[in-house]
Amino acid sequence: MTAFLALVAKELRALFVSPIAYAVIAVFLVLNGYGFAVTLIATKQATLVNVFFQAAVQLVLFVPLVTMRQFAEERRGGTLELLLTSPVREGDIVLAKFAASMGMLLAMVALTLVYSAILARFSTPDWGPIYSGYLGLTLLAGALVSIGLAVSALTANQVVAAVVSLGVFGMLWAIDAWAALLPSPIDNWVLGLSLLARFQPFALGAMYASDFGFFLAVTLLGLFLAVRGLARR
Amino acid sequence: MTGSTPTVDRHLTDRPPRAPAGLGIAPAESSRHGIAVASVERLGKRYGRRQAVDGVSFEVKEREVVGLLGPNGSGKTTILRVITGYLRPSEGTVRIDGFDVVRDGHQARARIGYVPENAPLYGHMRVDEFLHFMGRLRGLRGGALRRGIESARARLALEPVGDAVIGRLSRGYRQRVSIAQAVLNEPKLLVLDEPTNGLDPRQVIELRGLLRTLARDSAVLITSHVLAEMERVADRVAILLDGRLLTVHQLAGAGRGTSLRVRARADRADEVAVALSGLAGIGGVTREEPEGGLAGWRVEVSEAGAAPRVAAALCLAGIASVETVETASDLEELFLRLTASRALQ
Repeated sequence: MTAFLALVAKELRALFVSPIAYAVIAVFLVLNGYGFAVTLIATKQATLVNVFFQAAVQLVLFVPLVTMRQFAEERRGGTLELLLTSPVREGDIVLAKFAASMGMLLAMVALTLVYSAILARFSTPDWGPIYSGYLGLTLLAGALVSIGLAVSALTANQVVAAVVSLGVFGMLWAIDAWAALLPSPIDNWVLGLSLLARFQPFALGAMYASDFGFFLAVTLLGLFLAVRGLARR
Repeated sequence: MTGSTPTVDRHLTDRPPRAPAGLGIAPAESSRHGIAVASVERLGKRYGRRQAVDGVSFEVKEREVVGLLGPNGSGKTTILRVITGYLRPSEGTVRIDGFDVVRDGHQARARIGYVPENAPLYGHMRVDEFLHFMGRLRGLRGGALRRGIESARARLALEPVGDAVIGRLSRGYRQRVSIAQAVLNEPKLLVLDEPTNGLDPRQVIELRGLLRTLARDSAVLITSHVLAEMERVADRVAILLDGRLLTVHQLAGAGRGTSLRVRARADRADEVAVALSGLAGIGGVTREEPEGGLAGWRVEVSEAGAAPRVAAALCLAGIASVETVETASDLEELFLRLTASRALQ
């Protein structure tokens, strides 16, 4: 446990030493704040549905920037050798990077709670969709971070890690558009892989165990692949 | 040329003694050092179709410094990476203090301190912060962690740079920080990959002394492609070529041979003879042909460190000029002979 906590602390510090975290958080908040204000003024509705969809798209775009350096930089700088020759498990190293990345992203998303506070101050919002929306963002972030870590574990080049992650995320996000072109029952299987289709119910206030299970399964698969990527040496 | 025929204590065709069941520790081979801390048996490593290491066997015993010597690409770093658990072996076994690096990797790694080539460190961390992090990674905490850090800082003379950001340190200090993290938990085996790379001569000399000090508590395995460096720090040297172990060579301790060529005015020849007869560490004196009106002597040095003492005594007395002549060592001759014969094959 001592080693794991040391790893998490080190990863968090590394994230915030780099300017990337601050840039990502700043741009995320500016874009979401703008979207929230415009939607509120235009529709006069006490809802965050729009913010959730916007935030989800931004996670797809920004998570590769957070995860690209995680293993790629350690591999390039040689420090991965220090970690892997210490008496810690590969799983601990992956979980620590996952925990630190999620910590940073959830802190970023948590800053948007101020929108909920504004809605609560001036109206009576329906809290159900707000709770489910934040849960959806958390699950989506978990799935994206784990895939990003798996990709980063396979390369020593940060740019390659970012581009490949973005490609995978983009494909999984919009794969439902292809489903219409495919015969039954393949179209349903493909639709089931779509991050957008899985996230949508959460943003609208509906929670299904299947969607919850999907995000959990993708997260576990990503973490497993990241551990396997590290072990492949 | 100094010396006799090089002593070869084990050839590549020999296998190390079988480990006793359940312990995985080979019996001690010499009385000078204790039981084997690291035991490498028929180690092989393939990268795709390329065989980087092939059937390498050797041991490192308690308080012993073993050097892996070979040209670039001979498999030195790969062997170290397998021993430290960074790479998985394709064939063979490696045991650290009886623990197999694959089956009991966690236990084996807990007994190793590793200084990778080029001292990779987290440049954004401060020295103390980094040592604290690495100590916790090795499971140290509380008083043990504090004592480990204090001891490592003292041994590596890192007190003045405890608060310094690692990325701004000199190459020498970075190397010291890298060694400090490796000795935090007083490992059974200290592994160093080309530790003198990029160091200036003073830093190399300091590191050499440090390694001898560290070898009092740990077995040390070190790689280098610099023969002279190996001669000065190692007790035994394993010579590698193309991933194969050619021989394990016991160093006699004398290392590189040194003789002095002394020149003096003919009228001061008697003074030189008297001075030479009164100096310690001289193995033999041969009179040479006069040259340019100067008398000449060839002085063989019998003790390490005697050459500069003799040279300084004669020069400071103002009676002679002295030229130091270094001759090839046993190890140098052996290395050249082995690598040349392999190149011909």
